[in-house]
Order: sequence, then C-alpha cells, then structure tokens
Amino acid sequence: MLKLAFKLLLRDWRAGELTLLLASLIVAVSTVTTITLFTDRLQRALVLESASFIAADRVISSPRPIANEFMEKATELGLTQSRTLSFLSMAFVQNRSQFTAVKAVDENYPLRGRLIAGPAPFESGSPVSQGPVPGEVWMESRLFPSLGLSPGDHIELGMASFPATRVLLKEPDRGGGFSAAGPRILMNLLDVEATKVVQPGSRLTYRYLFAGEPQQLDTFEKWAGPRLADDSRLIGAREGAQSVGDALQRAESFLLLGGLLGVVLAGVAIALSAQRYSTRHFDHVAILKTLGATPVNIDSLFFFIFMVIGLTATAVGSLVGYLMQVGVITVLGPLIPVELPLPGVKPIWVGMITGMICLLSFAFPPLQKLRSADPMRVIRRDVEPSRINDALAYLAGGGGTLALMWWYSGDLTLTLLLFSGGLVVAAVLLLIAYWFIHSGRVIGMQAGSSWRLALAGMQRRGRENAVQILTFGLAIMLLLVLFLVRTSLIKEWQNQIPENAPNHFALNILPGDVASIRSLLTANDVKAQPLYPMIRGGIRSINGKTAQARKDNRQAAQGRAPRASSGRSLTWSSQLPPENEVVEGAWWDDDYVGPALVSIEQDYATSNAIRIGDSLVFVIEGRELSAEVSNIRTVVWNNLQPNFYIILSPGSLGDFPSTYMTSFFLAPGQKLVLNELIRAHPTMTVLEVDALIEQINSIITQVSLAIEFVSVLILASGAMVLLASVQASMDERMRQFAILRTLGASQRLVLGSLSIEFLALGFFAGLLAAIGAEFTVFMLETQVFDLIYSPTLALWVVGPLLGAGLIGVIGVAATRSLVSQSPVSVLRELA
Amino acid sequence: MIKASEVRKTVITGEGELTILKGINLEINYGESVAVVGASGSGKTTLLSLLAGLDTPTSGRICLDTDRILTDMDEEARARVRADLVGFVFQTFQLLGSLTALENVMLPAELRGEASAQSNASEFLARVGLSSREKHYPRQLSGGEQQRVAIARAFASSPKILFADEPTGNLDTRTGEIIIDLLFSLNAEFATTLVLVTHDERIADRCDRSIVMEAGQIAGAISSNEDQMVC
Ligand SMILES: Nc1ncnc2c1ncn2[C@@H]1O[C@H](COP(=O)(O)OP(=O)(O)OP(=O)(O)O)[C@@H](O)[C@H]1O
Ligand SMILES: [Mg+2]
Repeated sequence: MLKLAFKLLLRDWRAGELTLLLASLIVAVSTVTTITLFTDRLQRALVLESASFIAADRVISSPRPIANEFMEKATELGLTQSRTLSFLSMAFVQNRSQFTAVKAVDENYPLRGRLIAGPAPFESGSPVSQGPVPGEVWMESRLFPSLGLSPGDHIELGMASFPATRVLLKEPDRGGGFSAAGPRILMNLLDVEATKVVQPGSRLTYRYLFAGEPQQLDTFEKWAGPRLADDSRLIGAREGAQSVGDALQRAESFLLLGGLLGVVLAGVAIALSAQRYSTRHFDHVAILKTLGATPVNIDSLFFFIFMVIGLTATAVGSLVGYLMQVGVITVLGPLIPVELPLPGVKPIWVGMITGMICLLSFAFPPLQKLRSADPMRVIRRDVEPSRINDALAYLAGGGGTLALMWWYSGDLTLTLLLFSGGLVVAAVLLLIAYWFIHSGRVIGMQAGSSWRLALAGMQRRGRENAVQILTFGLAIMLLLVLFLVRTSLIKEWQNQIPENAPNHFALNILPGDVASIRSLLTANDVKAQPLYPMIRGGIRSINGKTAQARKDNRQAAQGRAPRASSGRSLTWSSQLPPENEVVEGAWWDDDYVGPALVSIEQDYATSNAIRIGDSLVFVIEGRELSAEVSNIRTVVWNNLQPNFYIILSPGSLGDFPSTYMTSFFLAPGQKLVLNELIRAHPTMTVLEVDALIEQINSIITQVSLAIEFVSVLILASGAMVLLASVQASMDERMRQFAILRTLGASQRLVLGSLSIEFLALGFFAGLLAAIGAEFTVFMLETQVFDLIYSPTLALWVVGPLLGAGLIGVIGVAATRSLVSQSPVSVLRELA
Repeated sequence: MIKASEVRKTVITGEGELTILKGINLEINYGESVAVVGASGSGKTTLLSLLAGLDTPTSGRICLDTDRILTDMDEEARARVRADLVGFVFQTFQLLGSLTALENVMLPAELRGEASAQSNASEFLARVGLSSREKHYPRQLSGGEQQRVAIARAFASSPKILFADEPTGNLDTRTGEIIIDLLFSLNAEFATTLVLVTHDERIADRCDRSIVMEAGQIAGAISSNEDQMVC
C-alpha cells in the first residue's frame, strides 16, 4: 500500500498535479515564517530602541534612595543594574553662572541606548560605552558658549570644581518631560558627595536602571510593583516612549493582519488546488474501488500522500521563509537604523504549525470527498460526490482560519468579530456574484458569437463561476484593503510628526521677556507657537469635596491621568489651542470677561470624575481660586506642541505671578540661536527634543519598511490564489473548448471567447472587490486603527480594471498553450 | 455462484421516480458464461453494476459465491468482496492514467498487499501480448491495447467472477474479435464465471447462455448450445 502511495505520489509530481498545491502550501508557510521572523526581529529591535528612551528595560524612579531589597532581587534574577541621580544646580565659572540639570551616573550607565560624546561643541561625536570618570564632567554643547568655556576648562558645581573634558552630544534617556529642564551636565556618581549639593530638602530624582531578559523583567516588575513606596514609580520601555507607542501598536496590528491575510489567501489557494487534485483523482479512486480498495485503503493512501506533501512544504517553506527574511534584511539593512537582534526559533515553529493547520483544514476536506467516490462512476460519469462533504469542507476551512486567527491575535473577540464580518461580506458578495452572472447572460443574448459563447459558458457553470468570482474578488479585495490601509497608515505617521514640527520648548519665560523673545525669534526666522502663560497649581476640591490623593502610582504612571491634588501646569487662553477639540460644553468667547471658567482635558476629567458645571477650587501659590467647568476638550498629545490639561478663561489668573512657555522649530543650522536666546534671557529654560524627534522618525521609517515588505509578501499569496483559481476551473473549460474545436470552431473564436470569459470574470471580481474593500477599509480604519476614513473613489475604477487585467492575463496565459494544441491531445490529456 | 432474487432498482430523477429494474430473478452457476443482451436503456449496465456490488438495489437480494450476501453489506465489506472475487472489464477501459501498463496490472494485487505482484503482472501482460509495452502509459496505447491491459489486470487477480460491460463497444470489429478471443481463452483457462453485456450477437453466441433484458425485466433466456428459446 505504501509502495503504491509512493508510486502515485511520484507520478502525480511528475505530471505536475501537485505543483500548485505544494507551491500554495510553501507560500503559506514561507509567508508566515518570513513575517513572523521579520516582525520578531523588528519587534525586538523596537523594544530595544524604545528601551533606549529610558536607557534601560525597567526604571524605578524615586525622590529618595530605595531599599536595598530591590537591588538584591534584581541581582538574584540576573538583571544588570545602573543608578543615576538627577538634580538642578547652578554652575559657576568666575562671574558667570547658569542653571543646569545635573545627572550623576555610575559606570554601568547607560544599560540601553548610547551616549554620544565629542571633543568640540556643536560638532559630531562618537558613541562611548560609559559616562565621565570620577573627577571630570561632560557638558552639553550650548553650555560652553553660555559659560564662556572651552573643553578642558573648569566649572564649579556646589563645593567642588571639575574640568569639563568632553562635550555631551546625546544621551539616550534625555526624553521629554518638563522635569528635564535646563542644559545638561553629566558627572560621575562618586563625585556627588564632594559637591555637597545633596542636602535634606533638595529636589532629587534617583533612578534605578534594570535590564535583562523579558521573563526576568516581568518577574521583577510583578515583585517590585506592590513593594514600591507611594512616591516611587516603575517605568517600562513602552511608557518611556509614549509618542512612539501608538505608531508601534498600529504597526503591530497591521503586520498581524497582514500575516493573517497572507495565510487566509494561501489557505484558499490550498483549498482550490486540493479541490482540483481531488476532482482529478475521482476516477482513480473509483477504479481503485472497483478493484476492491476499501475506504480505509483510500484514506491511508491519500493520508500518506498528503503527509508527504505537508512535510515537504513545511520544510521547504520554513527554509525559504528564513532565507527570504535574511535576504530582506540584507537588502533593507542599510535603511534600518537599528541593529536587528537575531531571531528566535519560535517563528520557525509558527510557520510549520501554520502549514500543517492549513493543510488539515483546507486540503483534507476535498480529500474526504475522494474517499466517498462512488465506484459507479466507472460506469456512469455523472455520479457526483455528496453535497454534505462540501459543507464539511467550508466548515473545516472556516474552523482552520478561525483557529489560526485566534492563535495569531490572541484575542478571541477581535477574531470572532473579524471572522463573522468576513463571513457576512463573503455571503453578500456571493449573492452579488450570482446576480452579475445572471445579468451577464441577459447582455450575452444580444451579443456576437464569442460573447454569446463566453457568457453562456459562465451561466452554465453558474455555481462554480459565482464561487470563482467570489474567490477572485476576495483575493483582489484583500490586496486593495491592504494597500489602502498601508497608505493611510504611513500617511498618518508622516503627518504625526510633520516636517518643521516644533523641536524645542522654552519654559520659565518671565512676563517682561515675552516681547523681546517674540521679536528675537522673528528676527531669526524661527517658526514659533504662541506664548502661553503657565503657572503651577493643584485642585483642592471638586464641588466642595476634597480631592483625594490617588494611591495607585502605576496607574498614574501608565495613563496620562495625574493625581488630582498634585500640582499641574495651568494656563489661560482666549482661544482654543490648535488641534484641541471641545467635545462637551462650549469654548468661551474671545472677549470673555467674568467669573473664572475652566476647560478640562477629557481623560483627566474622566479619571477625576469632573463634569461640566462642577465648581473646582485650585490652589495656586498658596491662594485659592474657584472656577466653573465650562467645557471638556480632547488634546493631541504627541503633536509636540505645548499642551495643557487645564486651561482657564482669560483674566482669571491675572493676579497670579505666571511665567510663559512656547515651542518652536530650529533647523540643525539654527541651533546657535539658542545661545543668543539663553544669553539674553538667562532665567529661561529650553528643552531640546530634536533628538527625540529624530528617534521617533527613525522608528517610523523602520515600521513603514516592514509594512511595505509584508504587503509584497501578501501580494505573492494573492497571485497564488488567482493562479490556483484559474487552474481549478481549467479542466472543465478545456474539455468544453476541445469539443468545440472538434466541431470546427476556429482557434480565434475559442481564444476570444476564453479571453472574454476571463475578462468578464475578472471585471466582476474587481467590482466585488471594490465594494468589499470600501466597506472593510471603513471598518478597519475606524475600528482598529483609529484613523479618519475617507472614501476612495479611485477604487471603483482601479478594482474592476485590475481584476479584468489580472484574471484576463493569467487566464489567457494559462489556456493559450492548450488552445493551440490539437483537440485530440487536449482530450487525451484530460481523459 | 451468483443469485439475484426480486432485485428492483428505482432512481429519483427530475421528473419523479424512475424504475430501471423491475424485479430481477436470476441464477448463474459456477464457471458459466452468460451474455446479457437487450435494447439500449433496458437496464443491462444497471443490472451488472448491482451484481458486482458497485451499487445497491432498492430492494431484493443479491448473493455471490453462495454465502456472500452483497445486499447485507456496507461499502467497506463490498469492496473486500470485489478484491477477493471479482474482476472487471469496461467499455471505457478505466486504466489509471498516472500508472504504467505494468503498474496498472499490478494494482489489484497491491491493493490486497500481495508480494509477488510484479512477476505475476508481467506474465499476464505477456499473455495479452504487451510485454514490450510494460513501461508505457495508457495515453500512449491504442484503445485495443488499453483494453488488453484491462483484461490482463482483470485476470491477474484470478477472480472467480468476471464482469464485462460491452468490452468491445469502443473498438473496431477486428480488434474487438481479438479482445473477445483473449477474454474467452483466459476465461476457459481459469474457469472463471463470466457475465458479459453486449450488443453483438456473435459474442453472445459464444457464451453458454444469454439473458435478454427488456425495459427493466428479463424477457427470456437463450441457451446458446441448444439455440432455442426457453420461457
Ligand atoms: N442514476 C440514474 N439516474 C437516472 N436514470 C438512470 C440512472 N441510472 C440509469 N438510468 C436510466 O435507466 C435506464 C437503464 O440504464 P442502463 O445504463 O442500465 O441501460 P443499458 O441497458 O446499459 O443501455 P446501453 O445499452 O445503452 O448501455 C436508462 O434509461 C438510464 O437512463
Ligand atoms: Mg450500458
């Protein structure tokens, strides 16, 4: 039996019966393998990259030293550790002084990301493995001109004096956050004591950095979280790079979705080619049965054949997937700004298991049909397999898809939603396909002979053709969807950080300086946002009830929700800031005068249970101010503009001493304007986020690349489906046309009618695809990716044309050689 | 050897029920050769397929080899009976296109898991005069040659009963004669019970007796030897 199976397998292979099935399966496996390998590596790279935003994988930040048990636990888990201490301090050089943000680091810093230092201010430097040695400090470029120093000169910090030996050009965890105000001095942790700046009551930030394997980190996080004091918080890589977080999340969903589409497409191709394989072996089985083969014999025969196919395909597919991924990375390597870590073994398994599931759910049902082949078929050709098995085939294919989707996404609700949505779309499209075919015949009645032949043919095999249109349509639709979503995702990311977005923030601007800063920026051609007044203040009570300090530090660190009573930056404005949107209530008039009103950001309002009409009491500089909530507003947080949770109406903060803030864009060449600004207004603090923006841009570039790449892979799967689908219908068509040829139809008539049939099929399929794609893109963009949807009119032109073109070309190319053969050889081929 | 009693076959068609066989009773003895003749559409093929267990009757009882009651068996068991007892020769040859002539002949033995399949098959191919075509695929053979391979395949499994449905229907007269000669000589040699559907009177004459089908019923039997009608 095994020998027979092997013989049949070998013969089928030589006769090309298995090529398409094997190819579809290999495409499925290699697509999944490549995508998972690539995403796996990219994800590791991105985690590393976002880890560099906090210079570690996890950070505990605290205003005082934390207990030793944390470090002991980390050591026990094999995590590497580092410590930093940040404080604000005056730096003196003879008669000049400057307020600086000092960070003292140990020899392990940074655990992730790189320090870049150089010999001269404002020039390029090179990565260094650790910070300054004891007895030396490094300073940011602009501190040199503002203190009138050259590298090597001494500065005084507190009670000690240090030579500023190198220029600090980049530190990984410089990040945003207003606490990082002031130009940076980097020093060694061992020198802090000598400065004597650390006194009881000084504002200090201790940061404990940890890095290691994800599993150990998770364990550590679970262990440390509940043990932390109220004023300490644990920060993960994700939270450290919030502005990238959204983009990353969307990219992940996209890659996931792309992988899924690839598998479903390949699955359909597998089902189609298995279907063809089984119809072509129907007679085989019938003959075998008349010769006494039992259903069990047949089962084991084809089980063996399919196991061999499955194993070959998974092996070859994994290898191809691996090589493809290596190739892609070699090609894209120079474009990917970070070094990609080596992939794990898991993606290989994912690919193999996917291949087996695909084979089982998509290929076995058509095979099951084989076992039921009636030996009567040997005598009467019209004996067909029972219909129940068809239902089984769909059920199994659906089940397999569902299982794979669930496995990939790990989210049952999303899976069920997507899946049932897909079913509904498919059902509706099938109905429309039937209708197309019907109206096709009505048109065909009045047409010439090629047309009549083609459309009559379509009508005659109505059921098969409707299914085929649906298959073509779905494949084209998925490709269109992918393309559209990809385009809007990438566009959205590029918009997110528009060119010339503000990359510097200026804080602590005294009211007296506002006018001169404004003119200085204008004089230097710097594009700046309006200057907003800013004052620290906290909410004391809401509707007379004292606001509770919220216990949950983790939550406060993760979400953007602050603790209600803690200090916040307040501002007032007559106009709604750009990219803010009032969602409840109304913004006050430009010329509003009257009792204080306040506008609250939506998430802040929700998490603190603040509603329109509530009366809030603020404490500002020890005095109280009460204001009524007049509107709730949404804010685009990652637009890198001054954003506020709380905005008061004009005049309400009039008596309070406030400072101003703004943000502006400096091109690399304009960087020296900073010095001028700071020299003229020494009290002002400037926050440089240009490095951060660069980092975000680099991540977005990587992610976009990944998406382009996945799209190409899916395209391959789509082409596979089209090919399989054309192939699947070929026998029937060829038999018909061979008979026509025998009856004397000219080659031109046959070819013409074939082309028309394929073009028409493709056209209808493309039209279906446009309908489906429009709907799916609408759902995806609004529900999954949170993008703004706008209909794509081009789709309705591109879809049908693409369909007609693709199917027409593939169909005619596949049939051409057969049409030019003599009808006898075609009939013999098909016998 | 073969016993059918009150065998009826009804099929559901678009226009309602169609009764193809209306109560067939027959008995065929061991080693006998029987021709089934009758007009086209009279139900010959249907009867043959029921007797061979390729299909099941709507009612009635069919029994092969005295104790194998086909009508009480499931598909699995009928397949086993076919493997043990029955050989086929069809009008359309029914060779597996993906196997060579030799492999086609080996097929039944392989299905039974027999070891000496190959030499046995070679021998039978030689018997039908196709030694030189062992490695050829069916599509490289003429119709007559294909039918000879089919006959070799049928006899290679040494069946007790051979069913043949218009074995010469697709062949010219001359080739048909060669095939029939071959069939009868092998039949005689192996003492096989032969049931043969044919339109050709000369072929029917070579059988021990003929059964005449008419509109789903046995209209009569002709014993070839005596050449007279027995009613
Ligand atoms: N499954 C079926 N469905 C409908 N009609 C059937 C079916 N099987 C057989 N018939 C009909 O039963 C009748 C007998 O068919 P059968 O093939 O047995 O005839 P036959 O005697 O072998 O004819 P021929 O000499 O032409 O081969 C025919 O009219 C045929 O159309
Ligand atoms: Mg017949």
